[in-house]
Amino acid sequence: MEPVQLAAILAAAVLLASMVSVHIGVSVALIELALGVLLGSAFKLDPDQSWLVFIAGFASVVLTFLAGAEVDPDDFRERLWASVGIGVVSFAGPFVVATVIALGPLGWSTKASLIAGTALSTTSLAVVYAVLVETGLNTVRVGKLIMSACFVTDMCTVIALSAIFVKPTVWFPVFLVVSVAVIVLLPKLAPWFFGRYGDRVIEPEIKLVFVVLFVLMVLGEQANSQAVLPAFVLGLVMSRHYQQHREEQRRLRVVAFAFLTPFFFLRGGMNVSLGAVFANLGLLAVLVAAKLVPKLGLVLPLARRYAPGNATFTTLLMSTGLTFGTISALYGLQAHIIDRAQFSLLVTVVVLSAIAPTAIAQRWFTPDLGAEHAGAARGAPKPTGPGTGEPLPAPEAART
Amino acid sequence: MSPYQFTSVLVAVDGSEGAAKALDCALSICEAVHARLTALAVEGKLPAYAASVGEVDEVKHEKDQFFKRVLEQAEGQARARGVQIETDLIAGHAAEVITHYAKAHGHDLIVVGHRGHFLGDYLLGSTADRVTHHAHCPVIVVR
Repeated sequence: MEPVQLAAILAAAVLLASMVSVHIGVSVALIELALGVLLGSAFKLDPDQSWLVFIAGFASVVLTFLAGAEVDPDDFRERLWASVGIGVVSFAGPFVVATVIALGPLGWSTKASLIAGTALSTTSLAVVYAVLVETGLNTVRVGKLIMSACFVTDMCTVIALSAIFVKPTVWFPVFLVVSVAVIVLLPKLAPWFFGRYGDRVIEPEIKLVFVVLFVLMVLGEQANSQAVLPAFVLGLVMSRHYQQHREEQRRLRVVAFAFLTPFFFLRGGMNVSLGAVFANLGLLAVLVAAKLVPKLGLVLPLARRYAPGNATFTTLLMSTGLTFGTISALYGLQAHIIDRAQFSLLVTVVVLSAIAPTAIAQRWFTPDLGAEHAGAARGAPKPTGPGTGEPLPAPEAART
Repeated sequence: MSPYQFTSVLVAVDGSEGAAKALDCALSICEAVHARLTALAVEGKLPAYAASVGEVDEVKHEKDQFFKRVLEQAEGQARARGVQIETDLIAGHAAEVITHYAKAHGHDLIVVGHRGHFLGDYLLGSTADRVTHHAHCPVIVVR
């Protein structure tokens, strides 16, 4: 199939995914992933056309940058040790268990097992965030704790992903120095640059971010590493700037969601072999258990300590996963560390983990918002906006 | 004394044609019996299983803006007809929120449109159906 023909089919799929998302209230990314699976199977679409590989690769770095930029540093500081404790355990438990199971009983290679461990140890801040905002719990202590812990797990994931791929070359010190330099300098440069060149339809500020991410990708490749870690940390150090300049962040999201991330998720879906999933249902169950059992078993005791009364809810939300799990698996596939069958199983587990723990948490364990407010009443500001019965916040303050 | 001395009417608004008719009906009732009116908008679900916080954030922002406009329009219509009105915006499942809100705030009549916005109305029965089943007070469903 010619590249332009594939592009036309995928563009139609991107449009369809957006429309379906609006109607059924499910995230566009999940629908793009599903459409990728269906179209890939039905029309034998080639997920390895170079233009698609390139856009999807860049999209994964942009998604990682956005994930870092969406962290609220103040929320994180508020309950630092609880967040670090839950977040690290939420990563380390499934990482060790999934890696050992893949390496031992499943007989995967060492690197493939590490990819399995990384993909299955993730949480999804985005999945969690939607649940918390919808219920108003993002404004109370338990919600902030869960979001901060998700961030810690995400950070562990990107560190692991970088460590798995790294085979230092002479370029590695350059990659390291440039990464540190942009992480230090961009937040200092951004206010001047965005003030001087920003707010234009030609979007110099987005181009600046893209240039920096491309430089990190180039150097990461030269150094036999990956740009995910510096991209995530760069997003993190830029998060305060974006909090103060919501419109800039919004325009970056528009570009990412309109053109980049759809191809990442479609390509992810196109690489899934349904035949491999159905032929390995037992294996799938083992991998689901490798993710969920250590999450539930190890996070729950900590959650009981730090979020008494909401421990099960906290634990279930820490068991979710989607974006970083998919990124990890796709990186493994792209580097020929895992094959399509292994990729298909990992992505299926990741998608199941986005849906099942969330649904259970929402159905049976959602904390009582009123009780949480009452508990936080000592000195805590009363939240406003939808779900609280209080007036709406100003538009720029809509994200609390 | 009749038990149907309506003094506090709740109308659900969501920007749909059905909700516009419900608001018109509620305003007529309030004009006739000098009841006070509350227009309630229920913000539906955010994108489930999102891949980025940005997607959730932006949808939330869009919904906030949309429902803010809907409620402002309701306020304008009520003022034009001399009806005392309050507005509120709450996130959640529409039928559940409407019935709980009506009970918690002591409304004695709920007015809803026959059909709202969502595909779920067709698949699971309309919000109006569920409100009529669970409300503590009389419900008018406007066609």
